[in-house]
Amino acid sequence: MNDQLMHSGVWLWLAFVLVALATHFPRASFIVAGGRVKLPAGLQRALRYAPAAALAALIVPDIVLVGGGLEPVNPKLFATIAVFVVATRWRNPWLPFIVGMAVLWSAQALLA
Amino acid sequence: MSNDSFHQGAKEGFVRFLPLSIGLIPWALVTGVAMRSAGFSVLEAMGMNVIVFAGTAQLGTLPLIVVGAPMWLILVTALALNLRFVIFSAAIAPAFEGVPWWQRIFSGYLLTDGVFAACSPRMLTSNDKDWRLGYYLAPSLWSWVLWQVLALVGVLGATALPTTWSLEFMASIALMVLLVPFVVSRPMLAAAITAGTIAVALASLPLRLGLIAAIFAGIGAGFAAERWTQSTLPKERIE
Repeated sequence: MNDQLMHSGVWLWLAFVLVALATHFPRASFIVAGGRVKLPAGLQRALRYAPAAALAALIVPDIVLVGGGLEPVNPKLFATIAVFVVATRWRNPWLPFIVGMAVLWSAQALLA
Repeated sequence: MSNDSFHQGAKEGFVRFLPLSIGLIPWALVTGVAMRSAGFSVLEAMGMNVIVFAGTAQLGTLPLIVVGAPMWLILVTALALNLRFVIFSAAIAPAFEGVPWWQRIFSGYLLTDGVFAACSPRMLTSNDKDWRLGYYLAPSLWSWVLWQVLALVGVLGATALPTTWSLEFMASIALMVLLVPFVVSRPMLAAAITAGTIAVALASLPLRLGLIAAIFAGIGAGFAAERWTQSTLPKERIE
C-alpha cells in the first residue's frame, strides 16, 4: 500500500520479531517460571484494563477521523454500531463481519 | 510419561475445543487479508503469522508497521495488547507442574485466549500431568494449524479482491469483536471510553504517540472506576 513509508525488509522482520517477543514473553512467563514467581495483586488488577484500553485506542480514531479531521458521522460509524449490536447479541463468529461490511457498503452507497 | 493418559487427554481436549475453534476461521482469514492489504509479500505475511501467532497483536500493530512507526512504539503497543496473557499464564501455570521446561516453552508459544478459556478449568482440577498436557496440546496444535491454513487462504485471496471494497475495515471489525467481551463491566467501559477519546484527541501527535498516552489513560481510568465502584461496597471488599 505505502511502499515508501514502510521501511526495508530487514526493518519489517525486526518488527515481527519484536511483536513476537512482546507476545511470547507474556504467554510463557508463568508457565515457564512455574510456582516460583507471583504477580503483585494490585498490578494484576491494573493490567486487566490494558487490552480493552489498547483495543479502544486503536479502533476509535479509525472510525471517527476522516483524513485527519473529526467527522464522526460517516459510513464507518454506522457499520461500527451494527457490529457492536450484532456481537453483543449473537455468538456467531461470521455475523459481525457480514453485517458490518453490508452496512458499510450500504452507507457508502447512500451517502455518496 | 504415560502415553495412554496423554492420548486420552488429547482426545478429550480436542473434542472440547473443536466447536469453539470455528470462531478462529474469520479471524485467521481477516488477519491474512489485512497483512496482504498492508503491503506484505506472501512470505512476509506468513512469516509474521508463524512467529507471532497472535491475531490481536498482529492486527493491532499492523497500522503502526505500515506507517513505519518507531520500534519502541510497536513494542509497547504489542505488550499492551498481550498483557492479558501474563494473567492467563499465571492462572494456568499450576497445570504445567512436572512438565519439562522445553515443553513449557512450547506450551507458552501456543497459549491462546480460546484454549485458555475452554480448557484451563479442567486442567486445573486434574491430577494427571500427562492427561493435562494432552488436553492442552491437542486443541492448541489444532488452533495453530487452523490459524496458519486460513491465514494463508486470506493472504492468497486478498489480491483477488478489489480495493474499492474497503476490506481493510474487516480488521477493524475483528478488533471490535475482540473488544466487546471486555466492556461488560463499568470499569472496563471507562477504560475503553477514556482510551478511545484520548486517542482521538491526540491523533495529530507524530508517530502515533497519542496511542500510548491513550492506553495509559485508559488503564488509569479503569483502575479509578474500579476503586470508585468498590468504595460504595462494604468495607471488607476494599483492599
